[in-house]
Amino acid sequence: MSDPVTIIMIEDDEGHARLIERNIRRSGVNNEIVPFTNGTAAIDYLFGKDGTAAERKGHALLILLDLNLPDMTGIDILRRVKENKYLKSTPVVVLTTTDDSQEIKRCYELGCNVYITKPVNYESFANAIRQLGLFFSVIQVPPAV
Amino acid sequence: MLTAISGRRAALQILLLSVGFVVLVAVSVASVLLVNKAREDNAWVVHTVEVEGQISNLLFEVRRAESAARAFLLTSSPQYLTEYRQAATGIPAALDHLAKITTDNPAQVANAAKLRTAVEKRLSEFTLGIERAQNNDVATSIAVLRNATSSDAVEAITRIGREMRAEEDRLFALRRATADETQVLASSVTIAGSCMVLALAGLSIVLVRRSSRARDEAEAKLRDVNVTLETTVDERTADLREANEEIQRFAYIVSHDLRSPLVNIMGFTSELEELRGDIFKRIASLNRAASPAPAMPDDATDIAEPELEGADKQLSDDFMESLSFIKSSIAKMDRLISAILNLTREGRREFKPERIDVHELIDGIVKTVAHQAAEANASIEVGAMPKIVSDRLALEQIFSNLIDNALKYLKDGVPGTIEIAGRSKLGFAIFEVKDNGRGIDPKDHQRIFDLFRRAGTQDKPGQGIGLAHVRALVRRLGGTMSVASELHSGSTFTITLPINWTGKNRDKAS
Repeated sequence: MSDPVTIIMIEDDEGHARLIERNIRRSGVNNEIVPFTNGTAAIDYLFGKDGTAAERKGHALLILLDLNLPDMTGIDILRRVKENKYLKSTPVVVLTTTDDSQEIKRCYELGCNVYITKPVNYESFANAIRQLGLFFSVIQVPPAV
Repeated sequence: MLTAISGRRAALQILLLSVGFVVLVAVSVASVLLVNKAREDNAWVVHTVEVEGQISNLLFEVRRAESAARAFLLTSSPQYLTEYRQAATGIPAALDHLAKITTDNPAQVANAAKLRTAVEKRLSEFTLGIERAQNNDVATSIAVLRNATSSDAVEAITRIGREMRAEEDRLFALRRATADETQVLASSVTIAGSCMVLALAGLSIVLVRRSSRARDEAEAKLRDVNVTLETTVDERTADLREANEEIQRFAYIVSHDLRSPLVNIMGFTSELEELRGDIFKRIASLNRAASPAPAMPDDATDIAEPELEGADKQLSDDFMESLSFIKSSIAKMDRLISAILNLTREGRREFKPERIDVHELIDGIVKTVAHQAAEANASIEVGAMPKIVSDRLALEQIFSNLIDNALKYLKDGVPGTIEIAGRSKLGFAIFEVKDNGRGIDPKDHQRIFDLFRRAGTQDKPGQGIGLAHVRALVRRLGGTMSVASELHSGSTFTITLPINWTGKNRDKAS
């Protein structure tokens, strides 16, 4: 992954956030990770003060999104990102506990790029995140235009 | 309450009908009696008229005899004599007749007797006069007659005739009045009776209409109540369904949300484990550095377990033991949560009734467990099975759980025999899964169907979910399930399912 790519991690559980961060780092990804523990803060960051996301123009972002947030559902964030003309090409990785087939289908329909169910077993969880990190290290991310 | 009123009404109607009938009979009897009486009265009236006629007739005959006798005395013509004789011979008969028809009235009987005496006396006077005339003693005969004219007999005849007539007139008036009265009475009785019958009929009609109206009202009320009842049942069913769905959602969400902290606990436990490795390696290397013993080569620190001694080793072991307890508990909790999730997912799944060849289905399951069965030294026999309409996946889960259990809890050292049999009875299919395994104590027969509960020796892995799940499925399919077993003598699980399950004969609850 090219260096200027910033990973936006929207995850309400700080423990999870920490574990995810650690395991991504272990796979050798050194990109900046910006964590958010609620939807509002993440929306504010992504879309800026005017809500158009014009501020993010020219930034290469990768969004790691949890669906169960305290103040909104991740699906709303996903929809807004994919509807925004600047952010729509930003890859979104949904990383959540839900494995409901309806939910998964809905996310892909809305334009999510990868949907991962968090394994409950920590070994598998760590393994999955590490592989995700490896994946991050090879994918190309376009800057927001 | 309602029945009491309608019962009273029915009794009243019967009473009314009886009264009407009695009145009708009374009116008929009275009419017949009164008509008879009227006829009698009329007969008496006619009789009176007849008596009067007879009196007139008699007096006329007496007058005729008198005028014929006089004419004969004046003319001595035999023609008048013949006439007189004719009249005279008719008189006694007329007298007899009069006497006969007046026997009903003592006064008239007496009068008739007097009249008879007077008439006979007068007739004897005529006879005397005529005899004289035939002996050419005309003068004497005229004298006789002249005397006779003013005699008592004539006067008596006139007087008695008048009296008898008066008497008959009185009787006539009396009898006609009686007949009129009877007729008036008869018509009054008829009219009154008819009116009464009409009134009773009217009352009956009113009562019948009232009771039919009451019945209509009761019917309408019953319909209303039925409709209300149906609505209530529907509402309750909807409530129950909603509550059930809520519980399902709740269980799903709870189990989901429980998973997140579990990931953290597990993750940081693993991190701790790694930290522990690092810490004790460090301690080991520090110990080595401090000890007079020759230093170990650096790469020795990469060996998985660092060498520790005494108290350090004890510490490391305690640390490891604690961590392993935490990890095993987490693993157990994880399995439980997964089980709840699977159960709620099952509960949310819509069942699709379809025609199923149960024999084929069970054969398929038996094939998948063939390896396990061979390992456990067990044989599985599948008997004849009825075909039923049900949910395929549910049936597969039911039978594979039961067969799994049978294989799992065989008696050690005894070759296992599992028999699966099926039959149909009264629209239900009855399946039996019978094994010769370790059996279940009767006191645990209820417990084994409870979620997370198990029975007997706990030497096999499991969460205590299988039978709870099976029973929930059987219930959702509209069936029942039971177990017959003794400790050490095998178990028989019996499942009764409807042959034609429509998906509607049970609440969706499970």
